[in-house]
Amino acid sequence: MSKYIQIGKITLLEYLVYRLNYIFWRVRSVIFFLTLFFFWLAIYKNTTSVFGYSQSQMMAYIIGIAFLRSVVFASRVGDLPGMIRDGTLTKFLIQPVSIFKMMFFRDTADKLLNITFTIVEIVIILAIFKFPFYIPQHTFTYLLFITITFVAVFLGYFLNLFLSLTAFWTEDPWSTRWVFGVIFLEFFGGSYFPIDVLPSWLASIIYLTPFPYLLYFPLKVWTEQLAGFQALQAVGICIIWTVIFYFLSRILWKKGTKNYGAYGG
Amino acid sequence: MRLFNIWLTFTLRVAQQQFLTVGSGYLFLFGKVLRLVLLFIFLYSILSATRSLAGYTKEQVLLFFFVFNIVDLTVQFLFRGVYIFRSRVVSGDFDLDLIKPLPSFFRPLFGWTDVLDFAILVPLWMFFIYFLTVNGMVTSITNVILFLILLLNSVLVGFAFHLFISAVCVMTTEIDHLTWIYRDLTHMARFPTDIYQRGIQYALTFVIPVIVLVTIPAKALLGILTPQMVLIAFGVSIVFVIFSLKMWNYALSQYTSASS
Repeated sequence: MSKYIQIGKITLLEYLVYRLNYIFWRVRSVIFFLTLFFFWLAIYKNTTSVFGYSQSQMMAYIIGIAFLRSVVFASRVGDLPGMIRDGTLTKFLIQPVSIFKMMFFRDTADKLLNITFTIVEIVIILAIFKFPFYIPQHTFTYLLFITITFVAVFLGYFLNLFLSLTAFWTEDPWSTRWVFGVIFLEFFGGSYFPIDVLPSWLASIIYLTPFPYLLYFPLKVWTEQLAGFQALQAVGICIIWTVIFYFLSRILWKKGTKNYGAYGG
Repeated sequence: MRLFNIWLTFTLRVAQQQFLTVGSGYLFLFGKVLRLVLLFIFLYSILSATRSLAGYTKEQVLLFFFVFNIVDLTVQFLFRGVYIFRSRVVSGDFDLDLIKPLPSFFRPLFGWTDVLDFAILVPLWMFFIYFLTVNGMVTSITNVILFLILLLNSVLVGFAFHLFISAVCVMTTEIDHLTWIYRDLTHMARFPTDIYQRGIQYALTFVIPVIVLVTIPAKALLGILTPQMVLIAFGVSIVFVIFSLKMWNYALSQYTSASS
């Protein structure tokens, strides 16, 4: 285990080497947050409720996006397609390390750093703008939120891993990752807007995919719009998707390493 | 004309490269269209429920959204080369560009035209014209002419932005996140920029002229632009172009060709 903790530490140190890049990355996150924040603030200027969301619930959703993007979306698994294509993966294959564990610890380091910065940014923004923020009324909601977020972290990890491992077979892995790992993840995950503001036919299709369980459903739990059985159902489906993608990524890894040509390695 | 022919040759080569892996090209195209459509549906749904945003009607807000996408896609289509410029500087390939009888910024900026953006731009323009016609949003020919002139002005500001970023790249070899910050800032103009606080609006006009890029042309089409804003738009773009050219020349004077 200690070697994986060392890998996590090295990942953190890499960020300290490229500090300016990391600061720019945080600036981008703040711009993204502010754009959404001002948009919704303008929407609520003449109304108290939109699609069943009060202003405080929507603001909680926006802050939740910023927070969960750091917890669930922040990932270093995106490095894997590059490692497969340029052959860097080879050195890890001959070392006594598990790629799954190594990537997970790199992810964890990335998440820890992002969460720290996000919390500071959110506190500053809350202090400056002082807007209503929905706090759950029931203690059980906190427990449910922590549970579904915890499962969503693993779902995000295995989903990302699954998409990255397709690089074993594709000439250009970036297009697959961009469409499924960025566009689908961001939009179907609910990181631009709550999915239930879309027409119901479209929302119903999106609910059939694993993406809404990464961000949208955890935030529906926080805003207490999913209560009791519905919330437990969301947690259950999230667990099922996680198990599915765990096995899919294991299968892809086994088949992929057999197919691996180590070009450039 | 000579430069146009060279640009066309570059573009055809890039198109061949982009469709070398056909599936990948289509996937990128699909992703771009999906993003555009989903945002449109989102805005349409929200505005159908609220009827207005920052004093603008649903149709007016959608017009801002279309103008944003037209400007954004045009600028990305023309100046996508900046995204790969860093690798040319780091590898030393930029030296080969400098010895060619072309303006020094030609290859960095125009060397990688994104035909996928063009493939979206054409139907987007057609839908935009249809949208304007159906909703009776073209009230006078003067507004249309002013809109088109200000759209060209936006491309000029886009050029200045990308030239500035390229200059920073020559000096620091670090531009990846800077380019994305520019893109994130322009995305703030997806919605009417009147939703932002006064201070942010000033910054988006004079520091990073996102308002000049998108909001001003859109307002011209709606016929709600003041003469002062027209002057500001041209003034800002002239200042930005001059500043970027000076910055570029300075960057070239500092270029040591250390990588080659």
